[in-house]
Amino acid sequence: MKSQELQNVIPGFTHEAFGSQAVFRTSLNAMSYPGRPLEIPLDCALPSLGHGAAAALLLGLLDSDTTLWMSPSVREGDAGPWLRFHTGCQVSDDVNNAQFIWVAHSDSLPQISSMMQGSEDYPDQSATCIIEIQDFDMESEELVLQGPGIDGNCSLKVLGLPDAFVEQWQNNHRIFPRGIDVFLTNASHIVGLPRTTRISRKAKA
Amino acid sequence: MLHKFGNTPSELTPMRQEWMALLARAPHTLLNDIVKPYIESKQTEWLRRPETGLMMIQARVGGTGERFNLGEVTVTRCALRLGELDDPSPVGVSYVLGRDHQHAQLAAAADALLQDASYYVDLEVQLLEPVRQFLKQQQTSRQARAQTTKVDFFTVAREVSSGDDGEVS
Repeated sequence: MKSQELQNVIPGFTHEAFGSQAVFRTSLNAMSYPGRPLEIPLDCALPSLGHGAAAALLLGLLDSDTTLWMSPSVREGDAGPWLRFHTGCQVSDDVNNAQFIWVAHSDSLPQISSMMQGSEDYPDQSATCIIEIQDFDMESEELVLQGPGIDGNCSLKVLGLPDAFVEQWQNNHRIFPRGIDVFLTNASHIVGLPRTTRISRKAKA
Repeated sequence: MLHKFGNTPSELTPMRQEWMALLARAPHTLLNDIVKPYIESKQTEWLRRPETGLMMIQARVGGTGERFNLGEVTVTRCALRLGELDDPSPVGVSYVLGRDHQHAQLAAAADALLQDASYYVDLEVQLLEPVRQFLKQQQTSRQARAQTTKVDFFTVAREVSSGDDGEVS
């Protein structure tokens, strides 16, 4: 880290323990109830680029043993040094070997199959991908979700989801127990999509 | 365990490196008396509140040889910014041996002030020079105390006598 970057670092959680625990609790709930948008507590100063919910989520989840890859438009901002300062994470240029991946709304999604998938013996060693979308619950494409944590099926309306996401996700689901987990975020809410969730497009009526 | 973070040594100006080292070893009362009046009127924005952890310190065999891990020391560190958000003032950082959170805060505040040229002139005289004097004095007294325990080993040379050993037969 360069001393110039340090001069521009903004504060993290107002209360480090409570702030990160609240974020962690929300992320656990999001993964337990796939497809349910949950408001994330934004108890910290937020970097200028990228969604606040994505930044707060990463601030709560990262630590000094993790690597983070950021898509080009967030990498330019002050989020990288900020996360590095407060969590000690390694910022990586290599999307294939990063444990956390932050894809900004304006950037294209890297191939899901190129991210860390874990192995049959250690499926936990896979990447967690945070994908920024425009908004939930809008007049937009409706996805149907099924799987553990969902009673029957549930629908999720997402505006601004990367085009090829659903097809790539189906491949991701097929290689279970390997595969990545995803959080979708807008400015204030997160939706968890664990690898066990099946996603299909709703047939147009 | 505190993980490494911050400026690599080459990026620090030698001057800043020196004053950070001085501040870390400054006596608490001196820091309190000099720095406190400066920061009372300012708002402290915490980047990292004082936190205590362990750091592995390394040494070299005989001072110049191979590196080895000497042991872990307790370190308190913090980072802060003085003044208001709209007026971006320098970030002050401190790493201080021990568990004194207030010392870490005062040292970081002093580091932030010293980066501002207008405060540097005053603080150099009021703070840094007395700290240098204090450390020098501390070293001299410690040296003097150690000196008293010094033992000069010498072998008593046998007196050379002429002729016999002086024993009368």
